[in-house]
Amino acid sequence: MQQRRRALERRAVATTFLVILQALATIFFIADVAGDIGDDGWSIHLLVETGATVALIAGVVFGALQLRWLILRARLDETGVATARGAMADLIRQRFLDWQLTGAEADVALFALKGFDAAEIARLRGAASGTIRAQLARIYAKADVHSQVGLMALMVEDLVDGVAIKPAEAKPLA
Amino acid sequence: MTVSPSLDSDEFAKQPVRTRRRWDPVVKITHWSIVTAILANALVTEEGSGTHIWVGYALAAILALRLLWGSIGPPEARFSAFPLSPGRALGHLRDIRAGKKEVHRSHNPLGALMVYAIWSMLGVIIASGIAMAGPPSTTFLDRAERSDEVTQKVLAERRDHDADEATEGAGGEESEWEEVHETAVNLLYVLIALHIAGVVFETRRSGREILLAMLPGRA
Repeated sequence: MQQRRRALERRAVATTFLVILQALATIFFIADVAGDIGDDGWSIHLLVETGATVALIAGVVFGALQLRWLILRARLDETGVATARGAMADLIRQRFLDWQLTGAEADVALFALKGFDAAEIARLRGAASGTIRAQLARIYAKADVHSQVGLMALMVEDLVDGVAIKPAEAKPLA
Repeated sequence: MTVSPSLDSDEFAKQPVRTRRRWDPVVKITHWSIVTAILANALVTEEGSGTHIWVGYALAAILALRLLWGSIGPPEARFSAFPLSPGRALGHLRDIRAGKKEVHRSHNPLGALMVYAIWSMLGVIIASGIAMAGPPSTTFLDRAERSDEVTQKVLAERRDHDADEATEGAGGEESEWEEVHETAVNLLYVLIALHIAGVVFETRRSGREILLAMLPGRA
């Protein structure tokens, strides 16, 4: 999600440069057409050139509208990520309270949820891996699961609405 | 050393998602393009030369784009987010005196006055410039001597203009435009100085946020 937001933002910047270039091209054509009309009066050639200039102006306006969509979309994603993070943190804290984890267990459990294994957690916390394994065993017992995957699944379960995610064509007919 | 992973939720709970002032890429890039164009025409290009005129036209295009963005852009870039209101500006001055710091998602009311002042000054400069130079010739792009021709014409007019002033003769229409152009440019420099002073003042008063918001990388 965050990656997609960054991609959207990068696209917004690139589109901005494009729209500015378009605007510069437009002013060039407007000035050129105005100069030519001033010098030689109207002709079919100038009529066509004027048409092209009007199309350029329309292109700039359309580009700007597209740009607004990109920017607002990126912001929407950002809000979504922040909301999801807040909700996830609330859920995790509530679960840890329910299981009555100690402070050290809560830290280890959080690392486990982030996908670290016992050896990595031991290194991060500067503890013996035996200690971490014992703490993980107590955490699994309190949470009534058998593995790290089970622990993760408990957290994800409440956040995932299976019906909402199912693609439209997978819905049973009638 | 013991490392604890952080949950970050306190941070999110206390602070609604978009309180930071951030400008979108269009506002940033048009801002810095206008800075570049003004610097180029003030310091680099020769007055009245073909390049000077074309930089002016480019400036007009960028200003037009910013004005378009003012009616269709995201909320904080729109005119409605920073109305031209002396009343609100006075209120803001009272806030400053009282030491009250309000968060503005767009320009603060004093800044809004500055924005409109600079834009209208740019408008006067562009209009008087076009009145003098007319539709720019594109032929000088093909033939280098043509731009010299334009320069010569302008220089000749300047001599005439000086002669006019000396003899109190009736100034030609073009020299009047030149007067307007030069006065407006000097006023623009005053406005720019005030703008920078305002940014420095606001940075000291409320932190670097206002400065960082216009720099790249925080879209």
